[in-house]
Amino acid sequence: MRSSPFLYFFTLQFFREYKNHLATTVISIALIFLLSAVLFISSSIKYSIDISLGAQADFVVERVRGGKKVDLPIEWIDTLLETRGVQKVTTRVHGRYFFEDKREWALIVGIDFMDEQSNRALEKLVESVDLEKFLFSSNMLVGDGVQRYLKEHFYPKGYNFLTPDGKYKKVSIFGTIPNSLNLMSNNMIIMPQELAKEILGIKKSMVTDLTLNVPNDNLWDSISDKIASLYYDIRVLTKREMQKAYENMYNYKSGVFLMLFLITMATFVLILYQRYSMVFSSQRRNIGLLRAVGWSIRDILKLKLYESLMVVLVSYVIGVSLAYLYVFVFDSPVLIDMFLGGENLDHKIKLIPVVDFGVLSSIFLIYTVAFIASVLIPTWSIAVTDPKEAML
Amino acid sequence: MITIEALQRYFDGGDERFYALKDIDLHIGRGECVVLKGVSGSGKTTLLGIIGGLDKPSSGKVMVDGEPISKLPDLHLSNFRAQKIGIIFQHYNLMDHLTSRENILVPLIPVANDMHRVEEMTDAAMKLASISHKADMQTSRLSGGEKQRVAIARAVVSDPDIILCDEPTANLDRENSLKFIESIQMLHQLGKTVVIATHDPLFDDLPFKSRVVHLEDGRLV
Amino acid sequence: MSEILLNNQVIVYLVSESILFVLMLIALLPTIKIVIKWKFYSFSQEQFALEKRAYLVATIVDFIFVVKFFLLIYFVFTIDALSILVPGAMCAAGVVSANDYGMPLLFFKLLILFVMLLWMTLHRYDLEAKEYPFMRYKSWLFIAIFVLVVVEMLLEIGYFTHIDTRRVVSCCSALFGQLEGANPLPFGLDMLKMIIRFYLLYFVNIVALIARYRALTMTSSILFLIISYYSVVYFFGTYVYELPTHKCPFCMMQKEYYFIGYLVWGSLFGGVSISLVWAIMGSLFGIDKSIYRNISVLFISIFVLICTSYVVVYYFRNGVFL
Ligand SMILES: Nc1ncnc2c1ncn2[C@@H]1O[C@H](COP(=O)(O)OP(=O)(O)OP(=O)(O)O)[C@@H](O)[C@H]1O
Ligand SMILES: [Mg+2]
Repeated sequence: MRSSPFLYFFTLQFFREYKNHLATTVISIALIFLLSAVLFISSSIKYSIDISLGAQADFVVERVRGGKKVDLPIEWIDTLLETRGVQKVTTRVHGRYFFEDKREWALIVGIDFMDEQSNRALEKLVESVDLEKFLFSSNMLVGDGVQRYLKEHFYPKGYNFLTPDGKYKKVSIFGTIPNSLNLMSNNMIIMPQELAKEILGIKKSMVTDLTLNVPNDNLWDSISDKIASLYYDIRVLTKREMQKAYENMYNYKSGVFLMLFLITMATFVLILYQRYSMVFSSQRRNIGLLRAVGWSIRDILKLKLYESLMVVLVSYVIGVSLAYLYVFVFDSPVLIDMFLGGENLDHKIKLIPVVDFGVLSSIFLIYTVAFIASVLIPTWSIAVTDPKEAML
Repeated sequence: MITIEALQRYFDGGDERFYALKDIDLHIGRGECVVLKGVSGSGKTTLLGIIGGLDKPSSGKVMVDGEPISKLPDLHLSNFRAQKIGIIFQHYNLMDHLTSRENILVPLIPVANDMHRVEEMTDAAMKLASISHKADMQTSRLSGGEKQRVAIARAVVSDPDIILCDEPTANLDRENSLKFIESIQMLHQLGKTVVIATHDPLFDDLPFKSRVVHLEDGRLV
Repeated sequence: MSEILLNNQVIVYLVSESILFVLMLIALLPTIKIVIKWKFYSFSQEQFALEKRAYLVATIVDFIFVVKFFLLIYFVFTIDALSILVPGAMCAAGVVSANDYGMPLLFFKLLILFVMLLWMTLHRYDLEAKEYPFMRYKSWLFIAIFVLVVVEMLLEIGYFTHIDTRRVVSCCSALFGQLEGANPLPFGLDMLKMIIRFYLLYFVNIVALIARYRALTMTSSILFLIISYYSVVYFFGTYVYELPTHKCPFCMMQKEYYFIGYLVWGSLFGGVSISLVWAIMGSLFGIDKSIYRNISVLFISIFVLICTSYVVVYYFRNGVFL
């Protein structure tokens, strides 16, 4: 291949004068790193939520009184099953249990180990447990975070739960919940439904909520309406609504970061404008010389825009790669807490590496457009330097 | 080769109009060597700039090779400078962060489309100006005479018809100045049209055929 | 704030468009000056300054064209991603039709890219000629582009602020599905007739380009564009989806179909607009460069080849047509 003289000279010029671009490159890398780290975290969390939601039942039915969620009677199952199109209604028992210090809590989930599970992940979990042993006495499966908490508080084998009637209920740790569902299961305790009801103070004839499946997607809207009219205090949540709610929540969280980024970027654009005006005017003599020996305005524009583009590309590649390492290899210390909030027992979360084309292209687009747009005018004004400047 | 008719170049400063060049008519034939003489501020540099297409006249006509250059759009004018004109500047005007070789090939970049050709032409120019031995040295470390020779090599690298020199010996000692005149003689023998703006008396009687033109306050006398 | 405006991609998109709009404004001033004061043969400082300013306008237009090209792809990609927030939408088709601004917006985006392509062609030849012969035309054309961009901006704002995330929209199956009795194809054609016309027009278009018939190129290109749109949506698309009932111009841009839609529409719009640019430039300004015709022939042929190969491959795999 014939090498282009222009590219040769461009490379020469760029590397000989890289000091001019050093400061802007470093700041660019820092900005791109921050933005991509945040967006990587949010898209990874969204992804894991999508996966776990995908494994869940299509509908959740709750009872709401006075705006508060309350337990509902088991008989509702029969009524629901009479609705056409509805399949596989299952009961769920769950609730928060606050430990002694009343500050940390765990999510207790009671499941019917003998029945079919509404959730695929749970199904796998149940398969892996030796049921005969598990159900023989009071046993539970705990998430990583819960296990760590209990160990730290000298309950390595089991825990004495305080039931609402004031009695203590001793439950032994049978095992931990495998890490595959890390995000959702970290502060979870899984136990048989009867036991969970006792600890959470739920009456024997009641459950927390129900789930059901509707295999035909097209019927979702009509069935949702039909069920909602069955009882005056019933509330129906669809999987799609939950997906949307999560989507919005994380859009909101990363949107706030994005706004902050844009404000920073606006400042940076001004700095860039000034900086490049300065750098270029120090090169005025040299540019005048290039013009004098036969470079056209178009040639200078090309040279200078290539330089800016190079800065953008280099900072983009480095910034994004650093962010990838930070988020997915070093588990994003500090930033992740801002994202998940302080609610979980323990935030040691392994994010699933997801590199989303939308995220990558968004970062590239906004950064390149803002950067090049802000150097466009300084670049033009240096490119039209009069060649006679070289003679002064 | 170069025909100048009724050329004016003025600068509007405040409410006064300052004429740097006034009513210039000049014809320079192919292969001629013209020495522009005049005191400081008489308009020598301005005239050279207009002949080389670096500056634009305020009125009048400048023809080079039968083509009017005073109103050419930038793309064509730049191309004209690249192909037809070689300039040796008053202060050498080298790019300090580049080596001699890199400085010399600069005029070829926008017009050449093959790096091989660029290297060939650069080597030839360096040989002509006998600076090949300092090809890879940073120009900021060269001596004045060597810098001058790099400047000569850069002026001839694209094999232009016209060589313009602005005060070429202002910063040189006598010995180097004489060497420079030798180089000019060589270029003259190669058939280049040479225009030298200077007030150095060394150029008063050159060892080859030349014409001296006097400028005074922007007018030819 | 509405959920749509919170979406990161929408924010990035709108901010990018606003930056371009600001640049457009910056370029508008010198353009207006050029329209009023351009006198090429004048030696005044003002004229020389204008010649320099013209380069600023050109740089900005080049930049805007490149960015707008990528923004169009990004726009389609973004509204496709929004389909999760809009009930009933399965792909971009549903989201685009979520309100009355979507389709006109998309049309304007294509139109603006086309007019900018005209501008850039004119500019190239303007620079190559010796006295900027097209400067005034270019400036008027720029003002026209500016007006188009203002309209686009308004449509954009209207579009993104009027997507109702609670109202169920109809998606491709309902938008493009055949209603009983109604014939969706243009000019009252049936499917076979339309496909014959598709190949016929392709042939005519290529011949017109190669033989430099400008008027014929213009008419055949426009007809080919229309017929191609319907052919892809109602015929070739079904082979992409391998489903006779799936009729949608947007779904083929999804990952499931290897983003082939971008290539299909890109080569069609690219080829047709370049051939139109060639024809218009020739008949208005006497500019004729064969590279335009060659690229156009190449693009249009790629387009036809992709479409055809989907049908052929399907036939060889399954032994039947859909
Ligand atoms: N941009 C400008 N604005 C105003 N006056 C200028 C400008 N450029 C040059 N001049 C004036 O034009 C006159 C001629 O300048 P020029 O540089 O041609 O002189 P010169 O003969 O080359 O002098 P020297 O021998 O000192 O190099 C000077 O008086 C100078 O001040
Ligand atoms: Mg001078």
